[in-house]
Amino acid sequence: MAVDLGKQKPKLHRQLAMAGPWPMAVAFLADGKLAAGDQDGRILIWDMAAAPSSPVAGSKSQSAPSSTPIRMLVGHTNGVSRLCASPDGRRLYSASLDHSIRVWNLDSATTGEAETIVEPQSEQDKKAKKPEPTVKVPTQEAEKVLAGHGDWVSALALSADGKRLISGDYGARVIVWDAATGAEVVRWSGLPWNWIFAVALTSDGGTALVSESRYKRDDFDVPAAAVRLWDATTGKEKLDLLKVQFPKYDPQAASYEASQTWRKYVSHGIIAAAFSPDDKTVALAVAGENDKGTAHLHDVATGKLLRDLGSHQYGMTDVAFSADGRYVLTTGRDTCLRVTNVADGKEALQLGAPRGGQFKDWFSACARSADERYLAAADIAGWVQVWATDAK
Amino acid sequence: MHPQCPTHEHLSRRAMIKGTLATASGGLVMNWGGLTSAAGPVEEVKKRKKHCILLWMNGGASQFETFDMKPGRSTGGLFRPISTNVAGTQVCELMPKMAQKMDRIAVIRSMRTSEIDHPGGIYLMHTGYRPSATVRFPEVGAIVAKYHGTEQSDLPNFIKVSTQGDAGAGFLGPTYQPFGIGHRGDLPQFSTSQIKSDVELRRHNLRSFVESEFTRERANDPARMHREAYESARRLQGAQQAFKIDAEWEKHRELYGDSAFGRRCMLARRLVESGVPFIEVGQSSYDSHADNFSWHKGLVPPMEHAWAGLLTDLEQRGLLDDTLVVWTGEIGRTPRINNRAGRDHYVRNWSTALAGCGVKGGLVYGESDADGFDVKRDPVTEGDFFATIYQALGVDPTIENMAGSRPVPLAPFGAKVVESLLG
Repeated sequence: MAVDLGKQKPKLHRQLAMAGPWPMAVAFLADGKLAAGDQDGRILIWDMAAAPSSPVAGSKSQSAPSSTPIRMLVGHTNGVSRLCASPDGRRLYSASLDHSIRVWNLDSATTGEAETIVEPQSEQDKKAKKPEPTVKVPTQEAEKVLAGHGDWVSALALSADGKRLISGDYGARVIVWDAATGAEVVRWSGLPWNWIFAVALTSDGGTALVSESRYKRDDFDVPAAAVRLWDATTGKEKLDLLKVQFPKYDPQAASYEASQTWRKYVSHGIIAAAFSPDDKTVALAVAGENDKGTAHLHDVATGKLLRDLGSHQYGMTDVAFSADGRYVLTTGRDTCLRVTNVADGKEALQLGAPRGGQFKDWFSACARSADERYLAAADIAGWVQVWATDAK
Repeated sequence: MHPQCPTHEHLSRRAMIKGTLATASGGLVMNWGGLTSAAGPVEEVKKRKKHCILLWMNGGASQFETFDMKPGRSTGGLFRPISTNVAGTQVCELMPKMAQKMDRIAVIRSMRTSEIDHPGGIYLMHTGYRPSATVRFPEVGAIVAKYHGTEQSDLPNFIKVSTQGDAGAGFLGPTYQPFGIGHRGDLPQFSTSQIKSDVELRRHNLRSFVESEFTRERANDPARMHREAYESARRLQGAQQAFKIDAEWEKHRELYGDSAFGRRCMLARRLVESGVPFIEVGQSSYDSHADNFSWHKGLVPPMEHAWAGLLTDLEQRGLLDDTLVVWTGEIGRTPRINNRAGRDHYVRNWSTALAGCGVKGGLVYGESDADGFDVKRDPVTEGDFFATIYQALGVDPTIENMAGSRPVPLAPFGAKVVESLLG
């Protein structure tokens, strides 16, 4: 049954502890399971139905129980940037700063066991200089490693039919993969020097959205940005959204002056993108600490900007549509997950609350379960926050 | 000549001849000085004096993302170390070109300096001294200009390309003030005369005459400075070719990397060839309080490519033995990564590097502790750093200049030359 996310009153259900390097990616899997990846390349899997564990003694930031991970996916040697689950939730695709994409068959048996730090150490134990507590977690290795990138793989998306995977790296390379076989379908390159920040595929994997820009090479050495729609079978450009937005903008004219134009729209980068379930619109999440990050909503056929959605102080980090396409879910550097009504741009839900001082901890990524019973946010403070909706 | 007027207050014979030449040829034959880039001028440069190129990382580059990695530690960050051409020495993966130049540079992993913020740090790492209310200390560029510069040279002796620092010549006076040029390496618009050369010469002669008459009975500093400024501006008219680098850039784009910083570095080499003793080349934006890793991934690759290209180019032209290349910013960055994925200011332990001019290549001096919080071995202060620079350039760091009635050594009292860095 379809859920009206905007009318839910989600409650914090779990605060899954992921102490150590920052959690950077999160995805829901089949059977009420959830995966999160961190900056060290570790991917942990939890079962929402698992028994809750006791809160960390003296923790001020834990108000819901955690649980022990049921599995650890091992193999990445640098940070996990994005996670995507197959439509049936039985396969997981992970992109990493180690230049690889790994494919995990979650029906496979575990192959070993490893000790890992999960729970944050209590202040008392820290003061007593006790070693950080570890737990033993069964481990699993990847079914497949997709090698084809030569730099940090920063962007990853799977088509809704689960047949195509798209990835992008910091060497401006984009690759479309056959998700079942891992074979390359097509590859192309963005503008010189650019980093691929975000990719998305339409439901059938036929059209790709690719956002590219980069941090400057000097105050006066700023390569051009681009946000374009591509034919994901041929690798031919279909539409340049920045050209629609700024008709006089020439992406070949990389210059400080040109950057003054696109900065207003791209800021520090379009960090995440998602097509609506009907593929008619695409939402683009704007990153950058200097801005109130919004999501630009564009018409896919014309490329025109329809409206801006949501607002996260100091920028967004992730975006996703609700199953019915009526809402966008966004996370940002304001420690919030926000649900915004697509039709009128009004905020329907705010989950989490800004914390810290002038600058907050971030929610680095968001996800919703297929049945929308759960919403989740990866929290750089070392948690995966999970809210339960009223959906049955 | 008036007995009270020193020689340099008069239009020199050389300048007069050159000006006449320019007039006679309608401005086409200019005052080239040592501008041609063939082997001849290189030999001439070698016969002359030492040079220094300061690569200035404005905002403070992170030691963890360059020369002092802490892999596997909580302070380590997202980048991975790579091997270099010096066995046992690793640097950040962002620096593959410099990794192959490690046998040419000496890295100091134990800088401990005394100004934590930018204005003070910029002053400190340009002068060797903390800002003072009573003494205006000169920048290293002004000192090098004084000791290795050539009076009456067509080009300024101290040139800054897209960089920071406003201490200037300090108490050394305006003769050694830096000449600043913009981010593309082009001369400022004001430095190009818009009037015909014969008119320019007539005006110059008239002005010189009036000033000579004026100063005959009034030999004071402002009048002399005014006259010198005009004179050096006029000489620069004849040396503009040095800054026209487009044609040569096409040939060297690959060597230096296709970047604005690369262009600036090639210009610096060109200026060294032309006899300029001190050139500072800046790269901006290292102040990565947020998104430290993205900033460094954006900034370090073009910088290190250009730096490696510069060392190669200097070496191939036989200039590296007499040119000191200094790599530094005003501060280092914190070991701890803040909740904006940033690193803040840190001066208790950070890194700099030197190359050329007798500096021992392949050397890593000093050591930080396991997480990079503190110097474990052989701390180097700002005073030691500048004393070593002056020593490498053949200038005794204990030489004193007078700031009013106060003698001030080039490097602060107590500073020690790090002898083991020098061959």
